Amino acid sequence: MRPASNRVRRARPSLGTFVEITARGDSESKLHGAIDQAFEAVARVDRTMSFHHAGSDISRVNCEAFQRKVTVDPWTWRVLRAAQKLSHESDGLFDVTVARKLMQWKYLPRRYQNVSEGNWRDIVLEKNCTVRFRQRVIIDLGGIAKGFAVDRAVEALKRAGVPSGVVNAGGDLRVFGLKSELVHLRRPDEPMQLAGAIKLCDRALATSAIYFAQRRFGRVVESPLLDGRTCRSSRKSISVSVAASACMIADALTKIVFILREKSRPLLARYHADALLLERDGAPLWMFRSSCDTRDRTRFD
Amino acid sequence: MSHIPRWILPAAISVTVPLPSYAQQYLTVSAAQKLCFPECDQFVPAHVKFTPAHIKAIEAKSGQKQLLRGQEIWRAMQNGKLRGFFIVDYVIGKHLVIDYAVALSPEGTVKQIEILNYRESYGGEIRNPDWRKQFVGKGPRSRFALNEGINNISGATLSCRHVTEGIHRILATYETCLK
Repeated sequence: MRPASNRVRRARPSLGTFVEITARGDSESKLHGAIDQAFEAVARVDRTMSFHHAGSDISRVNCEAFQRKVTVDPWTWRVLRAAQKLSHESDGLFDVTVARKLMQWKYLPRRYQNVSEGNWRDIVLEKNCTVRFRQRVIIDLGGIAKGFAVDRAVEALKRAGVPSGVVNAGGDLRVFGLKSELVHLRRPDEPMQLAGAIKLCDRALATSAIYFAQRRFGRVVESPLLDGRTCRSSRKSISVSVAASACMIADALTKIVFILREKSRPLLARYHADALLLERDGAPLWMFRSSCDTRDRTRFD
Repeated sequence: MSHIPRWILPAAISVTVPLPSYAQQYLTVSAAQKLCFPECDQFVPAHVKFTPAHIKAIEAKSGQKQLLRGQEIWRAMQNGKLRGFFIVDYVIGKHLVIDYAVALSPEGTVKQIEILNYRESYGGEIRNPDWRKQFVGKGPRSRFALNEGINNISGATLSCRHVTEGIHRILATYETCLK
């Protein structure tokens, strides 16, 4: 195969962060067109799944799904279905209804009153992309939608004929095509320093840590990474990186591994995912390699 | 790295970037102009130097502090007809300045936003010896070639809030100076 001669890299603010898209190929103008389409896919996820936009599916569901069925975008429905599956598999640790707690801790704006103490089991997904709630819960897809947006952007680039590239939504990224990429990880205690690098080929990598997000409430420090079963936030200064074939899965699994650590092994194996925990100073604390034997394995060594 | 014109910057912001740093130049001003307004054949500079009254009005409308002394603005023209405005703005990211461009329709709605230059300051090398033993990277003695070695960073999400605030300020600038 002839090596791609051009590389175009662009970035836009979206999903509350910086989304960077790199595409390699022959014609620069074609690459720009493909990147435009990929950004449009990201914008669709932002429009439909944002907790903040008043007109998004998530806002409509949060306002109305307790009273009546709400029809959502097929993409929103897909993400909700994947989230429900992960909630089931993690025994409720991953739970999109933790939005109630995140709102109390001001990670999310206080837009809803009289929210009940429900959980993911109160979300009912029905035919024709409809959603209803059994309790007056509220949901936020902040732990999974960014990864989904990366996957949709990669899909758009591939559809436009881009042979290889990278989509990085503020740290959750996916590399596609034959060219491998070096991805650097931040140090948990000093995020403006780098701890090391991982080589990825045709694979997604997501990282969760609390270094940009911890907040003090009186004497207590909270973080937005919390256990859906106990609603307690994790304050450990570690970082968790998960590699998987889909960025949505990698994104969501980081939250589970952050809490479960070694106990997340069976779930990681089920998704053919690899995980890497970094100590505060960036030293590797624990690593899991999935047994899948494909060419797209994450290379830690 | 693109040149940030001094006349728009407040005295407090230094243009010099402390090294070591991570910098990505995504688009030049002219490349971004063509992407935002592919139909346009001419970009006419219409840069604005703010008066104290401008600054007061922009701050009141946007709720944002206006630190810049001026704004780089181009009128995007197609066969002599105004198709929109192309505006370059600067905000502080995590520590360093981010340059970005906003394309507005003639009516002042946001058509497109593109980051032009992104910068972060970084420690210059992987210091952890354990990591070197276990993971790929550069050889044990080599430093990374900055700006070449670091192409992708995975980590907790970095907020783009300052850009979002900057866009509110740009819209107030449109109301004040362009409408």
